[in-house]
Amino acid sequence: MARLPVQALAGLALGSLGILGVLTPALGAQQQPRGPLTGERRDPAPGEPGSRGGPGLALKTVKALIASWDGPQVIDNAVVLVKDGKIVGVGPARETVVPEGFVVEDVGAKWLMPGMVDLHTHVGGDFDINDMVLLANPELRVKSTVVPNNANMHRALAGGVTSCLYIPGSGTNIGGQGLLLKTGVDRYEDAVVRDPGSLKVAQWGNPESWTVGIGMAFENWNTRTTLRRGMAYARLKQASDEGKGPKVARDIQWDIFPELLAKRVQVSTHTQVYQVVLMTITMIKMELGIDVYIDHGEFQGFRAAEKAQKEGVPAILGPRNFDRSYRGFVGMDTDGKWLGIAAEYQKRGHKQIGFNTDSPVIPSEELFLQAAVGVRYGMENANMDTVRGLTIVPARTAGIDKQVGSLEVGKDADILVISGDPADPRSYVHKAYIDGRRAYDVTLEGQRF
Amino acid sequence: MRSPMPRNRSLWLALAAFSFAAPLALWSAPAWAQDPAPKEGDKPAEGQDSKKEEKEEWFAVTNGDVFTGTGSLLRGMTILAKNGVIVEIAGEVDIPEGAKVLDAKGLRIYPGLVAVSSAGLFGGTGSELEDSVDPFSSRMVLGLASGITSSGVGSVAAKLKRGEIKGVVMRDKYSTTLAFSTNNPSTKRNLAEKLELTARYLREFRDYESKKASNKDLKEPPKKGVDSSILSVLKGETLARFNADSREDLLGIARLAQKYGFRPVIDGCGEGWTVADELGRAGAFAILTPRDRNDKSEALVRPGGSSIENAAILHAHGVQVAIIPSTRGVDLGGIAGRDIIHLPIEADFAVRGGLPESAAIAAITVVPARILGVDHRVGTIEVGKDCDLLVMDGDLLHYQTFVQYAVVDGKQVYDKEAELWFAHIRPRTTASLAPDVRVDPGEEVDPNAPPKVDPPKEGDGPEGSTPPEEKKPGDGDAPPEKKPEDPPKDSGDPESTGGEGGPAPESKPEDSSGR
Repeated sequence: MARLPVQALAGLALGSLGILGVLTPALGAQQQPRGPLTGERRDPAPGEPGSRGGPGLALKTVKALIASWDGPQVIDNAVVLVKDGKIVGVGPARETVVPEGFVVEDVGAKWLMPGMVDLHTHVGGDFDINDMVLLANPELRVKSTVVPNNANMHRALAGGVTSCLYIPGSGTNIGGQGLLLKTGVDRYEDAVVRDPGSLKVAQWGNPESWTVGIGMAFENWNTRTTLRRGMAYARLKQASDEGKGPKVARDIQWDIFPELLAKRVQVSTHTQVYQVVLMTITMIKMELGIDVYIDHGEFQGFRAAEKAQKEGVPAILGPRNFDRSYRGFVGMDTDGKWLGIAAEYQKRGHKQIGFNTDSPVIPSEELFLQAAVGVRYGMENANMDTVRGLTIVPARTAGIDKQVGSLEVGKDADILVISGDPADPRSYVHKAYIDGRRAYDVTLEGQRF
Repeated sequence: MRSPMPRNRSLWLALAAFSFAAPLALWSAPAWAQDPAPKEGDKPAEGQDSKKEEKEEWFAVTNGDVFTGTGSLLRGMTILAKNGVIVEIAGEVDIPEGAKVLDAKGLRIYPGLVAVSSAGLFGGTGSELEDSVDPFSSRMVLGLASGITSSGVGSVAAKLKRGEIKGVVMRDKYSTTLAFSTNNPSTKRNLAEKLELTARYLREFRDYESKKASNKDLKEPPKKGVDSSILSVLKGETLARFNADSREDLLGIARLAQKYGFRPVIDGCGEGWTVADELGRAGAFAILTPRDRNDKSEALVRPGGSSIENAAILHAHGVQVAIIPSTRGVDLGGIAGRDIIHLPIEADFAVRGGLPESAAIAAITVVPARILGVDHRVGTIEVGKDCDLLVMDGDLLHYQTFVQYAVVDGKQVYDKEAELWFAHIRPRTTASLAPDVRVDPGEEVDPNAPPKVDPPKEGDGPEGSTPPEEKKPGDGDAPPEKKPEDPPKDSGDPESTGGEGGPAPESKPEDSSGR
């Protein structure tokens, strides 16, 4: 797949922002060689209403999809207040006072919703992210391959995806460390939501292609052994840091495990068929006590849905959307009911169902379609489950729901202006704000997406 | 193998048997009437009556909100079809005795969808389709379940005639595929030469035709070197079909079409939006996939690459747009929304790019019908057209909408509730949605009963030993309570017992259908 050079993208961004007259030093820096990766977040374009350093922005709409975890889901005739890249107020228009100095933008009949979160993508930069060195490589990091706001991420943004988990491929049981990124942001430091974003585990289904002769049992052993060694290191390191045990030197290979022990990071598991979904729950969550979620959830993994819900393992589903009864992994041509995967998880009482794309397998901008076909094949949408599954559920799953995933005060102003039901392919994104900055605007693109 | 059609296979066996047997019966009827010396005088007469009755098969869909595909919405209408052709669409219709009636109260009726091309829906392919079609293919059922009632397969325009092998092919060789590519310049030169030669021949021939009556000495112009397929294109008998995406190729095709006066069908048409005016002037048809994504070459300054607005822009310039998903077969691997059985979702993406919804519906119904040269039969709901209908539970273009019933040639060939695939998804349980009359005689049969074969309705297999009893004509369906009593080997019809693996497996899916 072709990849646009950074220069061209930077030029594009410069061009579009130049129209607004907000050319900034930060953007100028884009052309310079990168400095040290500090991890601090800065707004690339101060000056516009809503963005950092600019005046406040009040977005008025007929319908705001709030998508809070347990609060309101929809507010009609709402106002969303944005200042310095954060949401500072949300409420019905009649009850909300727009502060002095805020620029009011009425989006009319279009809706507001939080930016979508895609927890399984491979398009954060280079595609060279499937290093099959050992069968478990917890030290590898995708961050060295990031090209911020590349063409694929820009498309994702045009489809409403503002945050994504960029992860290594599934060629080995542990592919390395993923990264949580924002899509429409030009600088790495500004784009990073959390590093590391996850530890990528791939259970049986892909890694056996690494070499001949390995199967489910060995892969379970391999994953368990590696994770146990890592957690043992993390506990020793923790004790050492607290001065309670023998001195433990930092081992870069196990760097992520103290994060996992402290539950600041989760394991994102590419786990699909029933048996290995069960292992995800029993081994990683119950036995090793690591926060884990089902990523790339497919096939008949839903048969473990009750257990997943009981043990608090969220299910992020896609890109396959249905499975057919009586079908094994291989037999593709037997008859059977079409079982919607999201529907089956839901039917078994699972409460934390989200969607992912595995972009570029299914491009990120079609994340919403995962929700749409989820509903088509039986998922109930009574509680805005499509919108939640695209926003707050994945945000909470990845532990970034304090920052993104809903339109609530204090969160990043990652806001979409969309023409209607976000799950409907007929709706399209008019504008996408990231950190209050207008990162995508269909009128500046010259065409829809 | 599980049967794809759990409940009404026997009906289809009977229909298939009938379609074989009927011509035979008609042909041999007089001999039969004389030979076996009828005991009662009225027997032959009744036999003739019932034959007339068979000739007139009536079918009605009542109380539906009819989206005709011609721009009209007719609420609460009844569509009446005779022998598979729509004869009346009205609020009050006298439905003849014996008509099969489908109540569509609370449901919407759309024309059957037309896939401009597809793979695998028929079991067979291409020009051999008539001989290789598998009328019991599970893919065909999935096609009908997704709303497709007609499709192009290779050079053939065909109907999804479930359970029947007659009347599958509507039209053969509907188009002539021509090569024209900038990447291969000789194709451009060859085509231009052939067109020039053929156009000259056609001019001379027409001149000769108009003058030969008055001038007997005039000689017919020589046909040497004239390509017959190009001739049929220039005479307007078939459409010229191209595969082209790049702006250069599209422009070249548009100019040839304008120069020589033919209408091109352009498959792909990726950069069509950049030359939409030229294509519109050429009267082009476009077959496109709105979700196709191609970056513009960075070496180019002009607009290019893919655009989701492609369909909308082409439509606005008068190009007739047909929409087809990128996967033209059925994807059973689990990824939904990108294959042939999600035509409306693909059309949604054109709406996302600005195509009006009416044009999006036309792009999966009447426009492909025009491309296939069968728009006089399918593509809209109109009197005189084939009765190919979808009874749907909502907006055709909404992702949640399912086909509840599909009707092809005035016969209900799909009922969501009666098939294994989708019956469990938002079941049609409410009384208002349920039909008053079940057309499917297999519905009420006790699954534990011995394997059944439909009572020989109109006659009989080759044995023909049992003449029609005193069954009243008009009641097309046998009373269901009769069925379990029918001994399974009652019909000695080799067509129905041997052909499709026997009736034994059919009871299995009934058991496991979850009800």
